[in-house]
Amino acid sequence: MSGRRKLIAAVAGAAALVLVASACGRSATTTNPSPGASSATAGLVTTTPAGTAPVDSVVWAVYRDVNSLDPIYAFDYPENTADSLMCESLLRQAPDGAIGPGLATLSTPDPTTLVFTIKSGVTFWDGNPVTPDDVVYSLDRNTDPKLAGFYPAVFNRVKSIEATGTNQVTITLKEPDYWLQGELASIPGIVLEKSFVEQQGKNYGTPAGKIMCTGAYMLDSFKPGVGVTAVPNPNYWNPSVKPLVKSILIKGVPDVNTFTSGMLTNAIQGAYEFGLPTLDQLKSSSAVKVYSGPGWSTDAFIVDNLKGPLGNVKVRQALSYALDRQGIIDSVYKGAALMPRWQSNPGTFGYGVSVFNAAYNSSPVMNQDLTKAKQLMQEAGASGQTITIGMSSQLANIAAVAGAYQAAGKAIGLNVKLKSVSAQNYINFFIDPKAREGVDGFMTVNYGDYADPAALLSTFVLREGSQNYDHYNNPQITTDLETARSTADPDKRAQLVSDAEKIAATDLPWIPNTQPTNLVVFNKNLTGAVASFAYMFAPWADNLGGTGSS
Amino acid sequence: MLIASLLVASFVIFAAMYLAPGNPIAALTGGRSIPPDSIRILEARYHLNEPFLVQYWYWLRNVLHGNLGISITLRENVSTLIASRIWTTAGLVLYASIIILLIGIGLGVVSGLRTGPFDTSTLVVTAVSAAIPAFVAAIFLILLFAVKLGWFPALGNGTSFLDNVRHFTLPAFALAVSSLAIVARVTRASVREESNREHVQTAVSRGIPTRQVIRRHILRNAAIPVTTISGITVASLIALAAVVEVAFSLNGLGAFLVGSAQSKDLAVVQGISLVLVTAFVVVNVLVDVLYAVLDPRVSLGSRAE
Repeated sequence: MSGRRKLIAAVAGAAALVLVASACGRSATTTNPSPGASSATAGLVTTTPAGTAPVDSVVWAVYRDVNSLDPIYAFDYPENTADSLMCESLLRQAPDGAIGPGLATLSTPDPTTLVFTIKSGVTFWDGNPVTPDDVVYSLDRNTDPKLAGFYPAVFNRVKSIEATGTNQVTITLKEPDYWLQGELASIPGIVLEKSFVEQQGKNYGTPAGKIMCTGAYMLDSFKPGVGVTAVPNPNYWNPSVKPLVKSILIKGVPDVNTFTSGMLTNAIQGAYEFGLPTLDQLKSSSAVKVYSGPGWSTDAFIVDNLKGPLGNVKVRQALSYALDRQGIIDSVYKGAALMPRWQSNPGTFGYGVSVFNAAYNSSPVMNQDLTKAKQLMQEAGASGQTITIGMSSQLANIAAVAGAYQAAGKAIGLNVKLKSVSAQNYINFFIDPKAREGVDGFMTVNYGDYADPAALLSTFVLREGSQNYDHYNNPQITTDLETARSTADPDKRAQLVSDAEKIAATDLPWIPNTQPTNLVVFNKNLTGAVASFAYMFAPWADNLGGTGSS
Repeated sequence: MLIASLLVASFVIFAAMYLAPGNPIAALTGGRSIPPDSIRILEARYHLNEPFLVQYWYWLRNVLHGNLGISITLRENVSTLIASRIWTTAGLVLYASIIILLIGIGLGVVSGLRTGPFDTSTLVVTAVSAAIPAFVAAIFLILLFAVKLGWFPALGNGTSFLDNVRHFTLPAFALAVSSLAIVARVTRASVREESNREHVQTAVSRGIPTRQVIRRHILRNAAIPVTTISGITVASLIALAAVVEVAFSLNGLGAFLVGSAQSKDLAVVQGISLVLVTAFVVVNVLVDVLYAVLDPRVSLGSRAE
């Protein structure tokens, strides 16, 4: 299975305050860059013009078939796209990454207490109201060991989750945790109907069963090989959203040529993309319109062996300086990606925007500098050493980036060997330590669950991070991030995370390659989908509809 | 014979999948790390860490009870997943077979009976089309007939029966194009050879009308090698269909098999393999029956010459 990694360009969200205050938390507002600090993502849009005309049916392509509709197992683009279309979370991420009320509003009477008040009138598709029991049940499913969900770790500071009123749920924490709000605005925070899930049993979310959520679109059918079909929810609890598309089919289209000809022949009406080799062809076609939105992911080289040559920070820095990132942006991303300054994509500045922008802009762009690279190699005394990069020649993007690393290594006297595995086995690098043996690093396009640079960064720099493969440990970064997690004030938190990012940008536990832009490809008569990476975690089709012209 | 084939095939395929590197859990993770506890629970649930023969026995025991198992990726019954896709592949293979038989045999017969420009051009065309693999044909057909001309859709199954036929036309041609050449060539050679036999010369010299000579003396005898090559070709289509299904995004068994083998979804691969082996055996049996019908020297139960 091809692991098309997406990079998301950062968008500075200045409308954060507006969204937190609004009762609905769901508007198709565009993002304004923060005054006084230029946005790294200027020119990218977080939303597309809202649709105005009804549309009979839309085929929305994803890179492979959706394999589950249960949010606790949603960990990849197809599942996220389907879940976020139909289901809603306790809190909600706006297109620019700002976190606001979702199905509930949040108050924090003290740093270790989160009180969620379910909005009045919020109902599931079957008309039943969302109750505190439903919320508690849905959140607890994430940590139920029998279910083996993928998100238990995000609740590791939670002491208890309890229904505390007719429409109130209280989460008590062992210590303050301001990251939990981001997770509750993402997939782990999706609310399901308890009685329905219990009745479905292990069929919930599988093709043999059904699902029960609260969104503007509801599930019509889930047929593997055909796809996931969603239709408008006639009983949607928010009257200001009127779904315009009578049927959305989320269909797996693994072959990029099939996808491209499908878009050109109107067999497919829309898709989210990144690293698309046929981007130029689609942009130049009059049948198709492409929007570029902020991405939230990073295309990076994961260093998984700190006991080899890459254990020396100067070697990592040398390799980073020698890398031709612009070449990668041009050849792999066809220009739709940013040169990195940090590990995290500037699209993830969902809060503390002016602080982040100022810090980001004061960090150097990771431009190629062969002189510095060679000098660092000399200081490290690592000339002639060998590293092995895990890659797959079947995954064109990954192979191209690995090639760029080979060229970089050659320029500085570092031998770069490539170890190629099949496209399917490539994913084993991420979960199987045996697969990583003998490999010093491998490529990834990786992202966090919500718009915060710390969301991705923490997974590979903190000691217990799920993607920290060789016990990388930098005490200063750890202190900055752990303190940030417990810090209430968004600007102070942004400052701490910025400090951590600055260190990570020189210490290079991973080597960031580029930060991909999020592309939305539409048939010329369709518009209205969210344009930023927020589509992965929050409803993206509430404004989807026809352009009104034929 | 069928049972023996199925047993041997299932064992070999299971062994191959077992030995192949990879991890079915990895396919669920989308290229990011999932919690180690989750991995452990899933591995225990699907017996992924048990020894080879134990795993094979679990699978075999289930199959003997009519249970083909559960797909790891989709968490659904394999039999349901196969049933929903089998008609797509069957339809595609049937459509392609009709094209191959009609056009392949037709071309072969006509060019076998005549010499001259038609024959030469048939030779050239078949040489070229034999060299075109199915996925190249798919790309070309999509580009010309779907994107440029818009006569046929580029992907998908279609909804009604007539819509299905329309959606399956380009894929069927893509699948048929290289096999067609072989069938045409063999037919042509076989017809040529029969035309030069003494009994044909005798019939012609006795004044029997050409049409009758062709039908009763040439074609009837040329049918055996043609049946053989057609049987082999149709049987091979069952496997080749995978490539075309992927290229046209058709919801068939072949594409599903490819994806499941890549994610090491054992139960699915075994289930589909059983279906394919059965289909292959059935086609061969049909060919044997046809021999008996065509060649009076052959009786069912004895070997065909």
